[in-house]
Amino acid sequence: MRSIFRFSMLVFGLLAMAGLLAPTGALGVKEVKIGVIYPLTGGAAAAGRELRAGVELATKIANGVMADLPMTMAQNSGIKNLGGAKIKLIFKDHEGNPTLGADLAKKLILDDKVDGILGCYFSSVTKTVSAVCEQYNVPMINASSTSPALTKRGLKWFWRTTPHDKWFTKDLFELLKGLTEGKVQGVKAVPKKEIKNLASACEKTEWGSHVSGLIKEFAKEYGFKLRKSFLYAAKSADLSSEVRSLKASRADVMLFASYTSDAILMVKTLKAQKAHPKVIWGQDAGFEKPEFRSTLGDSISGILTRTVFLPKVVEIKKLAGQVNALYKKKTGNDLGGASARAFTGLQTWVAVLEKAGSTKPADIQAAANAIYIPGKELVVPWKGIKFSTSGDELGQNILGSGLIGQYQKGKDGKISLEIVYPFDVSSADMIFPFAGF
Amino acid sequence: METIRNALDFSDFPRLDLTVAGAVSIAFVVFPLFPHSAFAMATMIQFLMFSLYGMGWNTIGGYGGQVDLGKAQYVGIGAYTTAVMLIRWDVPFWVSMPIGMCLAVGWSFIIGYPLFRLKGHYFAIATIASTLVLKDIFEVWGFVGAARGLEISPIKYNPPDFLRLIFRDDIYYFYTILGFFFLGIFYINWFRKSRLGFQLRSIKDNEDVARSLGINVHWAKVKTYAIATAFVSMVGSFHACYIKSIEPEDTMSLDISILIALMAMLGGAGSLWGPIIGAGILIPLKSYLKEWLGAQAGLVGIDLIIYAGIIMLISAFEPRGIWGIVEKIRRRTRS
Amino acid sequence: MDILVGSLFAGLLIGMVLALVALGLTIIFGVMDIVNFAHGEFLMIGMYTGLLTAQGLGIDPLLTLPVAAIVGFLLGIICYFGFIKFLLRGPMVAQLLGTFGLMLFLRNLALLIFGSEDRALHHGLLVGKSFDLGMGVIVSATKLACATLSVVAFVAVWLLINRTKIGKALTATALNAQGARYMGIPTEKMNALAWGIGGGSVTIAGALIVNFWSVNPFIGLLFTMIAFAIVALGGFGSVPGAFFAGLVVGMITEIPGFWDFFTYTFGADWMVDIPMTSFKYMWVYVAFFVIMVTRPRGLFGWKQ
Repeated sequence: MRSIFRFSMLVFGLLAMAGLLAPTGALGVKEVKIGVIYPLTGGAAAAGRELRAGVELATKIANGVMADLPMTMAQNSGIKNLGGAKIKLIFKDHEGNPTLGADLAKKLILDDKVDGILGCYFSSVTKTVSAVCEQYNVPMINASSTSPALTKRGLKWFWRTTPHDKWFTKDLFELLKGLTEGKVQGVKAVPKKEIKNLASACEKTEWGSHVSGLIKEFAKEYGFKLRKSFLYAAKSADLSSEVRSLKASRADVMLFASYTSDAILMVKTLKAQKAHPKVIWGQDAGFEKPEFRSTLGDSISGILTRTVFLPKVVEIKKLAGQVNALYKKKTGNDLGGASARAFTGLQTWVAVLEKAGSTKPADIQAAANAIYIPGKELVVPWKGIKFSTSGDELGQNILGSGLIGQYQKGKDGKISLEIVYPFDVSSADMIFPFAGF
Repeated sequence: METIRNALDFSDFPRLDLTVAGAVSIAFVVFPLFPHSAFAMATMIQFLMFSLYGMGWNTIGGYGGQVDLGKAQYVGIGAYTTAVMLIRWDVPFWVSMPIGMCLAVGWSFIIGYPLFRLKGHYFAIATIASTLVLKDIFEVWGFVGAARGLEISPIKYNPPDFLRLIFRDDIYYFYTILGFFFLGIFYINWFRKSRLGFQLRSIKDNEDVARSLGINVHWAKVKTYAIATAFVSMVGSFHACYIKSIEPEDTMSLDISILIALMAMLGGAGSLWGPIIGAGILIPLKSYLKEWLGAQAGLVGIDLIIYAGIIMLISAFEPRGIWGIVEKIRRRTRS
Repeated sequence: MDILVGSLFAGLLIGMVLALVALGLTIIFGVMDIVNFAHGEFLMIGMYTGLLTAQGLGIDPLLTLPVAAIVGFLLGIICYFGFIKFLLRGPMVAQLLGTFGLMLFLRNLALLIFGSEDRALHHGLLVGKSFDLGMGVIVSATKLACATLSVVAFVAVWLLINRTKIGKALTATALNAQGARYMGIPTEKMNALAWGIGGGSVTIAGALIVNFWSVNPFIGLLFTMIAFAIVALGGFGSVPGAFFAGLVVGMITEIPGFWDFFTYTFGADWMVDIPMTSFKYMWVYVAFFVIMVTRPRGLFGWKQ
């Protein structure tokens, strides 16, 4: 008898140990919990800080009142239709690991009982996290992952505010076409044979391999010749043989998809190898980070990057200027593509919740599908936010658009991004050809 | 019949071992009925998966004494077989898992046959190299999704789908892997008493003596390697269904290989309970250290530092792992 | 043609750099028959030492080499007396996993202290400079310096081993530790010395390499593997072997370059589509694998 008793004590003891490990979230009143999954440590920690700052700024604006900002969420304190409920953010760090991201999403949904999820920057992580959200019917808004495949999976609980790489890559080829037709401000029509040869180097990830595929597709469509196209291991210590390969292809236009450290290394190596392409274009990410500019200094003058936001937007958009000032006060940096989109992501969440007037997933789903945010309320230069509800791109914002910026040295001697595409909003003459390092 | 009886026969263990093992098993079985966090559940599944990996590794690494640091390639083969077959041809898990095991075993012969001519560190390093080569190939092979990996669609199947092993709630996965876990224990229990098991131990003690006893050393090693591979590949298939999205970087990373070997080593290589103890200590330690220290205080990597510290201490002072310590204490109290 | 000559030259240079990385490993292995999995981590520490000293004191990165050497030497000695000594008593399995533990430990310690961001040097005497020698050969000054040092280091170590008393003692320890002990050679000290020299040579390499490669806490493993490949190719424990094997491995990493040469020379479009660049390091591992299996003594091995 006693041994049975002892045995069952042992069993219960073990269970109690397992139970102890359960962290229970306290239930707050009048707040809406949004789980935010970003790469706060790991190789993209710098981007993570930017994203986090963008989201936090948006939350501060949403939870307080800033009457002078012409956006709905600044006029109300909290969510008006939810009795002034405040937004509470729960940050999690996925370290760039998709499996970890999925685990965190489960934890946020089941343990922290979040009402929705925002994230995750890396396309690969967004993929697994959105799959978890779909299974648990928890709405997720993605603001900065640009792999086209994400919205092609028919998910009903996933919305993406940012335009994706297909649009951006098309923008690039429109720009190249524009060059040959003399549409670019400050550049005479360039004979096509001068920029016909392309070469691309993208990192070996979900995002990079999609970009690489898109470049291949569009090159064919627009009649360019892709002389070299390869994927390289992300976070390489050395890219010299890759760069030599690019040089060997004698390409006039070199295209990259890289995160920060690789982008810096790539440009440094190009410089060391004395490469002289006529156009260098980066697919956002590393090429528009503040570190890219600060470490490489003047040598990046003439490099192009696609983006959705650059400081020049401030000059054509008053709201962007106001938010940028707030952001600069908070972090010391200007808004960039990552932070502006993260800001917009949370803004969309607020608008969706406002419209839903409840935190029931079904109401949020209906609200998200019907939402329309006009462009004048956004910091990014889009026509607005409206999600596609049919066709093969469910949940994709159809009113977004991209920009192509070029690093140029201003009169004050500082390097900054100027808009060169779309042609009608370009802010400076394009430097062509690339002057060399 | 004889085999089954042998597999279920644990009579050569002390009673204390069996009591604790029984209590732990019952605790596992009833665990999901008690309130628990999703985090605890995920940790539990991780633990069971790694115990199984460790058991597989233990056959060749523990009983056979060949340090294999390339198990991740077989995790990858298992996971990819299941995922590719499910996505492309809608083959259910219960069919694709054995096929994956066959493929993995086939590959293990190709790799293992030449490799077992090497000994000691040469062998260990060569297993790492072969994993890296396979990973590089999978990263560019379009048929298996190249670097972007494969995703099992979250909306195409209706969970719970027992045939394809597609579930929404972790509890189903928990019981599936728990079933594998018990089967694994029974298998290893049989294995250690089998002919091959004894051959291996004599090889580990002294290869030349084993050869002089008429044991085909090379062939015994290759066979055991295949068994270890089958274990790992089976769990790999499960991993694909559980995670639902696989990439070479994720499933074939060297970290997994190392974790598998270290866990078994820490617990005590060459004993039945060793890998389970190792996984039982390291997996929760890793998860919770990360949760408490890493994420909150921003102390990234502290979990692995503690973990590495333990490994260094163990390898320097008690190479037979925690189980070795337990046995030492026992021997001392007995005498 | 430019491509071919450029690749050949680049392969030679990088080969010498890699040989320097592998030198420490081959010394330690030769003397003690123990594989140091933490070798790449030593290199990483050397890189951080070079980087942080240069940035912290505001001196040129080249002047940090002595600092790195001292750090590496001490690191090697401390590792030996604090840890490796105990490992030697255990079975081979424990040695393997022990150094693996050391590797994890150092790597994550670096992660904790330095964070996971890549860091690189942006200023310095040689940083970013390169010479154009014509024929498509562009040599970056830092790599050239590193290659030169590599040759110097190899000659120095060779002289040390073959022409000095300490070297003879080291060789004796390597060939037969017990016998050496009977002859009155303090093998314990010899082992520690091997670790010191091994650690010092690899941290010097690190401090130089950081001039042209960026560093993060995870960088070690790649170099450990390459160093293993070089040591295996050269024959475990053979110093001149390691140098030539380094050149061979350098050439192997340049396979994509040669591939480009053939692609554009013959205008073969099908060759363009094969992503040779993605396989840059794979050929090293393949070569390693094949050599290990077919010729365990290595291409230039002398030690049984």
